[in-house]
Amino acid sequence: MPTFKLDGKTIPFEAGDSIIRAAEKAGVEIPHYCYHAGLSSPANCRMCLVEILPAANQRAMMLDIVEWDEKLGDYKAVRKPKLQPSCQFMATEGQEVLAETSTHVIEARAGVQEFLLLNHPVDCPICDQAGECKLQDYWLEHQKTPKRMHDEPVHKPKAVSFGDTIVYDAERCVMCTRCIRFMDEVAKDPVLDMRERGNLKEVIVAPGRKLEGHYTLMTEHVCPVGALTSKDFRFKARVWFLKTAKTVCQGCATGCNAHFDYDPRSNKALRYRPRDNEAVNKYWMCDEGMLSYRDVTSNRVPGALVGGKPVKLDRALEDAKKRFGSVQKSSIAFVLSAKHSLEDNLALFELAELCASRALYVTGAPDGYSDDILIHADKNSNTAGVKNLAPEAKSFADLLADASAGKVTHVIALGGAAPTEEVTALGRLEGLVTIAAHEGPITGAAHVVLPAAAWIESSGTFVNAKGMRQLAEKGTEPLGASEPGWKLVGKLAVAIGVEPSWTTLKDVRSMLVATSVPPPEPPSAEASAE
Amino acid sequence: MLKHTNYLTKVYGVKDGHTLAVYEREAQGYQAAKKVLTSMTREQVVDEAKKANIRGRGGAGFPMGVKWSFMRPHATKPAYLVLNADEGEPGTHKDRTLMEENPHSVIEGCIIGCYGIGAHVAYIYVRDELHLSKARLEAAIEEARAKGYLGKTPFGKAYPVDVHVHTGAGAYICGEETSLLNSLEGRRGEPRLKPPFPAQVGAFGCPTTVNNLETIGIVPSAFLMGCEEFSKLSALHAINDGGVRLYGVNGHVKKPCVVELAVGPTLRELVYDVGGGVLGDKPLWAIIPGGSSTPVLRADELVHAPDEKSPLHEYHGKSILDVPLGVDTARGLGTMLGTCCITVMAEGTSPVAAMQNLMQFYRHESCGQCTPCREGSGWLVRICDKLMAGTATMAELDTLHSVANNIMGNTICAFGEGTAMPALGFLKKFRKDFEAYVRDSQAGKRATLVVEGESFLPPSANAGAQAAE
Repeated sequence: MPTFKLDGKTIPFEAGDSIIRAAEKAGVEIPHYCYHAGLSSPANCRMCLVEILPAANQRAMMLDIVEWDEKLGDYKAVRKPKLQPSCQFMATEGQEVLAETSTHVIEARAGVQEFLLLNHPVDCPICDQAGECKLQDYWLEHQKTPKRMHDEPVHKPKAVSFGDTIVYDAERCVMCTRCIRFMDEVAKDPVLDMRERGNLKEVIVAPGRKLEGHYTLMTEHVCPVGALTSKDFRFKARVWFLKTAKTVCQGCATGCNAHFDYDPRSNKALRYRPRDNEAVNKYWMCDEGMLSYRDVTSNRVPGALVGGKPVKLDRALEDAKKRFGSVQKSSIAFVLSAKHSLEDNLALFELAELCASRALYVTGAPDGYSDDILIHADKNSNTAGVKNLAPEAKSFADLLADASAGKVTHVIALGGAAPTEEVTALGRLEGLVTIAAHEGPITGAAHVVLPAAAWIESSGTFVNAKGMRQLAEKGTEPLGASEPGWKLVGKLAVAIGVEPSWTTLKDVRSMLVATSVPPPEPPSAEASAE
Repeated sequence: MLKHTNYLTKVYGVKDGHTLAVYEREAQGYQAAKKVLTSMTREQVVDEAKKANIRGRGGAGFPMGVKWSFMRPHATKPAYLVLNADEGEPGTHKDRTLMEENPHSVIEGCIIGCYGIGAHVAYIYVRDELHLSKARLEAAIEEARAKGYLGKTPFGKAYPVDVHVHTGAGAYICGEETSLLNSLEGRRGEPRLKPPFPAQVGAFGCPTTVNNLETIGIVPSAFLMGCEEFSKLSALHAINDGGVRLYGVNGHVKKPCVVELAVGPTLRELVYDVGGGVLGDKPLWAIIPGGSSTPVLRADELVHAPDEKSPLHEYHGKSILDVPLGVDTARGLGTMLGTCCITVMAEGTSPVAAMQNLMQFYRHESCGQCTPCREGSGWLVRICDKLMAGTATMAELDTLHSVANNIMGNTICAFGEGTAMPALGFLKKFRKDFEAYVRDSQAGKRATLVVEGESFLPPSANAGAQAAE
């Protein structure tokens, strides 16, 4: 692999890597605002300027500037080398680049940082970006000088609504154009642009349009400062109080890697942010996915139900025992769910094995909108995982047919979701127990509902449409009386007279290794863009 | 040495001088294009053009022939010639005379230029405000088309050439070549990153040469007389600065004008012989040599060139007013030749007011794309405003140069340097005056940019009359 030197350190690079990209991959951050690994480089913020030493047979391009000489009582002519934006300059073999070790670079960074804050309102206490703002981080790292401009700053439009999801503050904007480029290059809807000139510049939405579509929240996420804020997250939290779980979005079969931010003090979910993974979602997530953090509380089954009435879990298990205790175990049908983790599904699959039942079905949410950016038509997070686990499992339509025909009388299911709302055939069942986190057609028809923890309330594994097995961490504590699905399967097993072969998550995971599900992906690259 | 010529200006002031008939009758119009297209290959044209030593007339002074030689035929894409007539530099007013008085030299230059770089289409990008210029160019194009000089087979040669006039909206930044290309394509006029250079990826993504309008306008004259002969007209032929060009004189002179001179007049000649002397016969105080972006020169400066290899060595210790003015000699004086239109300032002019005036312009015209220029240009004006208002502190005066230093070289395009260079120039040369504005809060109220009680001669005494001399 070819290499170049950055501050004396050897940095490998691939053809086509800019200096900043190669450094980023090597774990060295060159400060920047406008550069984003997933977007084109406009080199407009000038924060990533570096000094590139000329080759042996070349001379550096020098610029005439002045310094104030106290002794002389006059200006002194000095020269400085022309610096280059590392986001635009391609890495080349043997190149010598100076950043931290060049006084010119250090001065230029401080200069850019001062310029960016010159007309900035510095309204950090009321800014949602506080705590994750590059202006804050870089002031400390690269400027540290007191304010030299004490006059009224330039005033520009504030709290401009860009659409249903985003608010814009032109005074906080550093004009990096990331949002504009994202809408143009990734969302393929160039609805944002600039108006005016010089320090009156501002981002606008194309006249007659609003910022809409499936990727508007990403504009807020790529914004390095507090210029764009999400209406959903505005004024809800201080980010430094939040904890983050590395999870996987449950919205569709793409399985976008996400950060799930929640307040551990109140166990409150607050937002999703994309987690970079070149192989899955790159740096992006869709709006529907980003807002699906709300599924932690919306439409939940917070406690056990019998005949639709809330009861204690023990009471629900007793009811299950009554309905299933005397039934031939091998005649019980089991319904896996493409919306539940492999752990939950494996536990249920294992119970079916222990019952010597061959009647396996699979349920999940119906198909929906798709595009060629991220959104998959399959709205289930684990379709591929369930298919690998039980390739012979029959469809939900088969379950309805078999129930109508009386071939199936007792069913233990996972989840509330079904591909259809029309489930009257389930009414013919003599026993239907489901272990569900969210309400759906199956919970509506079930005699007994056991309250499962949602994906973020217990660690789980999901296999996306590309067949990649991804681990989702636990975030918030389980809502109400809910418990991890695999654990409830175990309790249900005991209730119906079967001894489960697992008691801990570790037991379930070790069984998982033995299945035909593909081996885990290496952990996703955490470096790259923010 | 002052040497009046009339290659470009022969038809200036002549009745109907802008028409094809007069151009052909008086100036051997389209003979050069005919000669080139019927007797030379493309390579010969570029080689010949290099010998003319025509330094770009837009301000940077890059050799035109060398720029043409960067053009390589592309397998699938066409090439374009783009003429920059977005003349917006304060104190610059030469291209406009050419478009109004001698548009056919430009059209003929386009034919030769297109042939030389392998293009079939030339765009002339003109500022919106220049209505007569656009009308004259368009009329000239129509006449040339009607005669068949533009079209499918100019001069019988199967080499189609066409020229289009494109109107800009009057933004200074669109005079920057890549901004101009963006504007030409219908985008925001913001400079592009280089590389790639326009010769590789220019207008509409195709190989493009962007030349100043005057650069192309002088091409027919050079080819008609032979490019080497043409170059020798210049006093600076020996340092590759050839031919003749339009010089402008404005500011505190009695006769502001545009004249055509062989390259190499001195500032003294421009001020006193061409410009008729300083208004009110005041002492000469300072000169901005070539458009507002070029650092100011004090009239009392002496040449400092102790190095024997310096092109200015023979003038070492002499007044800067006696140095023949060319691209490299101006650089030797620590400034730039720029567009060759000098702005003269008489004694009594306020350097603070002058700098404020220029900084207001740069703040207003900064495209705002990159940080140092967008924010720095605004900051420079603020401090200048405070100096003029008598509210600036010494600390703020001491901030000025560091703001300019932080703009210098740190921007996407040369606009940054164009802002920082004049600011640093004024500070370096007039620091004591600036300090006086901090100490005396009333200084700004007395500051002036005009010579009281004096005005220019009427326009009728201007350009045309000069050319006829």
